[in-house]
Amino acid sequence: MAGDAREVVQVDSVVKDFRPGFGLRTKRVLHGVSFSVREGEIFGFVGPNGAGKTTTLKVLMGLIKATSGRATILGCDVAQTEFRRHIGFLPENPYFYSFLTAREILNFYAKLSGVPSAGRRDRVDTLLNWVGLEHAADARLRTYSKGMLQRVGVAQALVHNPRVIFLDEPMSGLDPLGRKEIRDVVLRLKREGKTVFMNTHILSDVEMICDRVAIIVDGVIRYQGRIEDFLIEDELWSDVVLSGLSVEATTHIEEAFDARFHGVGERIEIRIRDKDVSAVLQIALAAGAEVISLSQHRVSLETIFIDAVERSEGGGGES
Amino acid sequence: MIGKFALLMALMATVCATGFIHARMPPTTNADRGDAFVPDPAVASVLSLGFDAALADYYWLQAVQAIGGDTRITAELGVHLGKLIDVVTTLDPWVDHPYRFAAVWLTESEENVRQANRLLERGIAHHPNEWRNWFYLGFNQFYYLLENEQAAHSLEQASRLPKAPRYLPRLVARLRSQTADILVAETFLRELIRDTEEESARAEYQNALDEIEIEKKARFLDRAREAFIKLAGRDIMSVDELLAEPHPLLSALPSPEPESLPAALSRGSVWEIDPANERIVSSYYGARYELHFPSREHQRAEQWRAEREGRDSPPSGPGGLDDGES
Amino acid sequence: MKTSVTRIWIIAVNTVREAIRNKLLYTLLFFSVAIIGTAVLIASLSYVEGERIIQDIGLAAIRLFSVGIAIFVGIGLIHGEVDRRTIYTILSKPVSRAEFLLGKFLGLLLTVWLQVILMTVAFVIVTSATGSRIDSGHAAALFLTAMELMVIVALATLFSAFTTPLLAALFTLGVYTLGHLSRDMLALARQAEVEGVKVAATWLYRLLPDLESFNLTIQAVHGLTISPAEIWLPMLYAVGYAIALLFVASFIFQRRDLK
Ligand SMILES: Nc1ncnc2c1ncn2[C@@H]1O[C@H](COP(=O)(O)OP(=O)(O)OP(=O)(O)O)[C@@H](O)[C@H]1O
Ligand SMILES: [Mg+2]
Repeated sequence: MAGDAREVVQVDSVVKDFRPGFGLRTKRVLHGVSFSVREGEIFGFVGPNGAGKTTTLKVLMGLIKATSGRATILGCDVAQTEFRRHIGFLPENPYFYSFLTAREILNFYAKLSGVPSAGRRDRVDTLLNWVGLEHAADARLRTYSKGMLQRVGVAQALVHNPRVIFLDEPMSGLDPLGRKEIRDVVLRLKREGKTVFMNTHILSDVEMICDRVAIIVDGVIRYQGRIEDFLIEDELWSDVVLSGLSVEATTHIEEAFDARFHGVGERIEIRIRDKDVSAVLQIALAAGAEVISLSQHRVSLETIFIDAVERSEGGGGES
Repeated sequence: MIGKFALLMALMATVCATGFIHARMPPTTNADRGDAFVPDPAVASVLSLGFDAALADYYWLQAVQAIGGDTRITAELGVHLGKLIDVVTTLDPWVDHPYRFAAVWLTESEENVRQANRLLERGIAHHPNEWRNWFYLGFNQFYYLLENEQAAHSLEQASRLPKAPRYLPRLVARLRSQTADILVAETFLRELIRDTEEESARAEYQNALDEIEIEKKARFLDRAREAFIKLAGRDIMSVDELLAEPHPLLSALPSPEPESLPAALSRGSVWEIDPANERIVSSYYGARYELHFPSREHQRAEQWRAEREGRDSPPSGPGGLDDGES
Repeated sequence: MKTSVTRIWIIAVNTVREAIRNKLLYTLLFFSVAIIGTAVLIASLSYVEGERIIQDIGLAAIRLFSVGIAIFVGIGLIHGEVDRRTIYTILSKPVSRAEFLLGKFLGLLLTVWLQVILMTVAFVIVTSATGSRIDSGHAAALFLTAMELMVIVALATLFSAFTTPLLAALFTLGVYTLGHLSRDMLALARQAEVEGVKVAATWLYRLLPDLESFNLTIQAVHGLTISPAEIWLPMLYAVGYAIALLFVASFIFQRRDLK
């Protein structure tokens, strides 16, 4: 067992090469990914499409083998199987035996995970209730909608009461109500002391429920840390919307205050540091511009996310 | 509304056109392609992929179809049937009836008969307790090939097997004594009629039996005529004289038509003296048998023998049939 | 070990449950029963030995359709898992890939055997309605058909462990064909001039499944004597062959990336 005992998931310099065709040419998808998930937290793994989130999760689930590097869950190498009775996994767009009913499939997964027959029926009923599928529990899955399948997927990941739960895009395909329900389920799991690892690109969800995040872009981890740390990482910014600002004044503000300009034509949006607001406003008013609005800019995860993606535009990529 | 109607019409037109085109295509089946579709037995057994028995049935049904209806049996059809039965019995040599089916239908050329005999020998190899295969073989040897010694041997084998009829040893003795005659043929034919399930084959055998029946009656009249000559010192002018005074040798003449002939089909035949050779004949057939056997078969048999002896080398069957099992 | 067997069994039972709700299965079953039924009609075309023809066709239909079910339903079942990613959730449970594959194999085999039983019922009804004899020879033939199916299902499992369903179906059909030809190939090659041909044919005969050894149709239909060795040797052969195939299948499957 390596590292801090409280770290239930450890990913250490994982590299994954895919061979897309028949040739020997390989495509590197993960460039030495490292991060760790601590016990009891909700960990958000975010990144743009094609960043390597699902690939990382598949390495963790032992579905694909890392080209190099090491991944452990609960101290066990991911190639092993026994520890899996303590983990749950919801794949991206899950699909199940379409001729079976939700109840049958949950029973099946419960049995596979070694849930004793005594409490199994109740456990299945509880989960059907959690994900809001009691009414459709005895219908075959082929009659299910995408969102209903997603709910079966969540239930299946939890049916054996695992300690660590991995969710790949848990909110995809769900209506707003469904998303809230899943968020509640995740928060409930946290209250029960479980660890949740969640792949997503829906940042508002991450902000709302995650304790820590890692941002992956093009197979490289760009940020890793607590959400609060992100949010107070930099100075605070404000957005000023002006009209009729002269070209000279614009250039002056840009050079003097390291401001970012937005917008076309009459209106211009300027993002400046909070401490510069009064100075900029003075210059603008002096130059005969009209102030349309002034608002404090909230540095959200989105900002960091977009920043990370933009910054990596030059570096990283194919090997 | 008009749109729907037009669509419906278009559909009808398409269906009709398709049906018309289909009607133009001849419904050829494999059976119509004749020999060309019958595979080499070895190839068939390799390609059957374990479905030998069902494939054997398929070719068997083709054979049955080939003689169905009022198909005329020719030597060519005989060759075709021979190939089919060869495939059938290669795929599943434990079939029973097809061997005798071949014996019944492969009669139109010496080659046919010899092929039938080879098939019968394969049948004998796989059904060692079946007397009928030996019996059919013996019949072919006696009746078509005039090989009395071999026929006697075959019947001897038959007679040793369970359920064989008790008269077989007598038949063997007759064949051995070189007095094979219409009585031997009659015995054979009666047995064959009993055994054969094919209606048309039975009719053939019945015809042969009818000929034998008339021949027997004619021989009876011959003996009466000899007696008449002895008594009267002269020959008869007509067959009716055998009934009339002063020497009523017979109270009635036997029917000049076969007994099996239904009354409705009677041609009103009479006994008469053939002006060409002065022999008593039934106008039903119009000729006597010069020989012991039904004339057609015997002439043919003689012809085959002549052909055979005309050739330098002894006859060798048409190659291709080698029975790996025996 | 015990839990491993339990998990294999759970997957097998679930596979059967999933399979018996598949319409394709019933379509094939319907056709096989229909053919067994029409055997009566077909047999009536022949004026003799109709009972034998009914049995030939019935046994052939059972073999043909059970192989069809094994290949098409079977490969769909195993491959569908990888293709439609149901396997992701299963392997996230404490189930090894070998257990998964064995469970699938077993479930599939049970499904196919179940079909054979259903078809056999139809066969027995039809044959006894036509008054022909059914005896231990038929039981032996059907038993060996079941053994042959074990090999074929193992083949289907092996091929679907590493290739696409279409290719897996073609490979399985190909090996099925060659497996029925291997004895003939051996016999033909014995007469070959070139030594290499003989050696190649001999090795093909040794390596390919000798599927003709499971064919007792003719013996059963004609009531020929079947020696015990004709049953238990092929049975052991089938078990051994299937185990070997499953070993290779799990070996390959374990090393495979499930993308
Ligand atoms: N089997 C594969 N063969 C080749 N390339 C692959 C394979 N699977 C994934 N990739 C590539 O790896 C990269 C990462 O894919 P991955 O599915 O991990 O992205 P993701 O972060 O989950 O994206 P999304 O948000 O769209 O789900 C992509 O560029 C993809 O094209
Ligand atoms: Mg993904």
